Amino acid sequence: MPESPAATRDALAGLIPVSIVTGFLGAGKTTLLNHLLKRPEMNRVAVIVNELGEIGVDNELVQVSSEQMMLLNNGCLCCVLRGDLQETLRDLFIKRRNGEIIDYDRVVIETTGLADPAPVMQTLLTDSMLRDQYRLDCVVTLVDAVNAPGQLKEFSEPVKQVALADRLVLTKTDLVQEQPLAALTERLHEINPRAPLRRATNGEIELGFLVDVGLRRTHADLEEVERWLGADEDPEGGHAHRHDETVQTFVLRFDQPMAWAAFTQSMEVLTALRGPDLLRVKGLVNVEGKAGPMVVQGVQHLFHPPLELAAWPSADRTTRLVFITRGIPRQVVADLFAAIGAIGSR
Amino acid sequence: MAVEGTLRPGGGAAQLALNMKLLGHHELAGFGGVGEGINLQKAKDGRRILWMAHESAPKNFTAVDVTDPRNPKMVVQTDLPHNDVRSNSLDVVGNIMAVAYQTKKWGLKPAGMDLFDISTPEKPKLISHFDTSGPCSRGAHCVFFVDGEYVHLTSGAPDFEPTNPKDDQFYRIIDVRNPSKPVEVGRWWYPGTRKGDTAPPPPRHPKFDGGYRPHNTNSYPQKPDRVYIGYIDGGVWILDISNKSKPKPVGHLQYSPPYNGFSHTVLPLVERGYLIVSDECVRDNGEDWPKPTWVVDARVESNLVPIATFPLPPAEIFTKRGGRYGSHNLHENQPGPCSFRSETLIFGTYFNGGVRAFDVTNPMQPKEVGYFVPATPKLAPKGSAQINDVWVDENRLVYAVDRFGGGLYTLETTF
Repeated sequence: MPESPAATRDALAGLIPVSIVTGFLGAGKTTLLNHLLKRPEMNRVAVIVNELGEIGVDNELVQVSSEQMMLLNNGCLCCVLRGDLQETLRDLFIKRRNGEIIDYDRVVIETTGLADPAPVMQTLLTDSMLRDQYRLDCVVTLVDAVNAPGQLKEFSEPVKQVALADRLVLTKTDLVQEQPLAALTERLHEINPRAPLRRATNGEIELGFLVDVGLRRTHADLEEVERWLGADEDPEGGHAHRHDETVQTFVLRFDQPMAWAAFTQSMEVLTALRGPDLLRVKGLVNVEGKAGPMVVQGVQHLFHPPLELAAWPSADRTTRLVFITRGIPRQVVADLFAAIGAIGSR
Repeated sequence: MAVEGTLRPGGGAAQLALNMKLLGHHELAGFGGVGEGINLQKAKDGRRILWMAHESAPKNFTAVDVTDPRNPKMVVQTDLPHNDVRSNSLDVVGNIMAVAYQTKKWGLKPAGMDLFDISTPEKPKLISHFDTSGPCSRGAHCVFFVDGEYVHLTSGAPDFEPTNPKDDQFYRIIDVRNPSKPVEVGRWWYPGTRKGDTAPPPPRHPKFDGGYRPHNTNSYPQKPDRVYIGYIDGGVWILDISNKSKPKPVGHLQYSPPYNGFSHTVLPLVERGYLIVSDECVRDNGEDWPKPTWVVDARVESNLVPIATFPLPPAEIFTKRGGRYGSHNLHENQPGPCSFRSETLIFGTYFNGGVRAFDVTNPMQPKEVGYFVPATPKLAPKGSAQINDVWVDENRLVYAVDRFGGGLYTLETTF
């Protein structure tokens, strides 16, 4: 039977996008959420928060509420994270399907201040029920301009939060002079050169900056792929600007198509040896015999099952892999691919 | 996590949707009760005309111009001659439309099938009437007409006397190559359902005696030697119709009891060798639950094996939403320029469960990928929407119809 192009499901297009809002204690997550919740465009968004009380939404904005959820007048649903996130996300979807809550079409998760966002991301990559319904759209890390310079020196968690981000939001910038602010911006850029950065004033930020970052469909165009992979400032792996000592972000490019087995074996060895330090990997792989690129997404040792895009978004068919690592230099990964997969990178 | 009350504007009567977006709605001039005949015609002037058979009198069929699915416009609506007949089923090939007529009692007329010329959609012109009325006949319940040559008909006949009154319809192949003179070329009935059969009458379903009649009788040009029949309480049948005058059974699956009967539609995934089988829910409030949609492995026709059912939302919630809840019609991969065809994406209707879409790429683990349950229509007799049938077009726009007053919903999918 000849099938029309629409005869099969797009493995990405039907999934509900999830944004993760993270940031160290006092970074202003609650203030940002409080502002976001009031926006009309937050209609049909489910926001998972740590405590309903903390959000401080005026009573007149609440349409109906229960102990663990409240529905705001603009159609936004607030829900408390109880137990683990896996359970909460499953439960939300079941309730949506049963008609017990709104038909939310986006989820925003507020992590706790001390949280490592990696396990939250991994939940979405690995739980099979969640993977059927949700996709990771964006990790937004809030950075407190007053306290971050110290925190980034003293603690490892904020560094990881910055490293894992797709979007960085600087808060409390009105309390800091321009010069230390520029230094902080530079520092953030060292840790995560690919994530766009914006300043929020009193928690206000354009919603568009925080959403539709991840791949939304397998027919993704070049703009969508570039938005997902981040700014391509360092295509040749050069050293034009200073890099962080602990976090390395680099891109490996492979001109020739590779066998899928060569790729997976290389990645398996890498994760077995350095999984915890492989903070995030994302990219497109040109696999021999495949029409479209394979999408690769991983957080530490866990990877999303591979997914093939319908077509290459441009004439450029080189494999592009973005690595964000803790102490794994570019050359080590390149050598590993060369040794195991016999694949030469540039 | 217990939630008290419903955190949803409009509560239980509100629309539910996932990956299906409402584009347009038409109440069909107050006669929004549609049966299980729905088909999309590409008219000669380029308009896209959706034809719908009504579930019951007084209306016969309605055509709506869905060229702009956001703004459906009624083109024509016709009446039945009296209230003891219903049309229920229709099919369109090119500019010819076949419509079934079933009466409430034996012996009444019109009973059988009409063929219309719909080249001018505003003015359907009767070409012929194929009369199947008789002393033990209510006429025709269902037509399947896709090749322009043969109508696969579920009907009684003047010469057919059933062993049980509920078994008064059977499978008839009608040659309509000359549409002004339709003629029967073959027939088959469940052994034992006709008086004079050597086989004994089949056992009645112990709880829900729905009868032994065919419902849908699907046959496709890419496999013209087969017809796939949902035979109500008689289960699933595959017949070899390479010789149309002598249909011959090649596959049979009976799973009721213990299940609750009413095998309705058997949709073959011709390339892959699977069947999607829906069992119609015919009782309100979950009385005959479960009414699944099955995936059946038919790679060996003589050994049909059910391997999965579609994941449906929980009965304990939906059976309480009013009216029927369970499987009914499927989009049937009809040939033709305005029909969606897929071996992996299946659309079905579930009464108060709305229209739902499933991915059967892995036939053992069908996945739900979208749904749309309309808000309860005004004056809904069952207190809920009762989505009865669905058509999906080649652009994957979805046309779903309500059994009572809701009319037509046009939808787009986002998966």
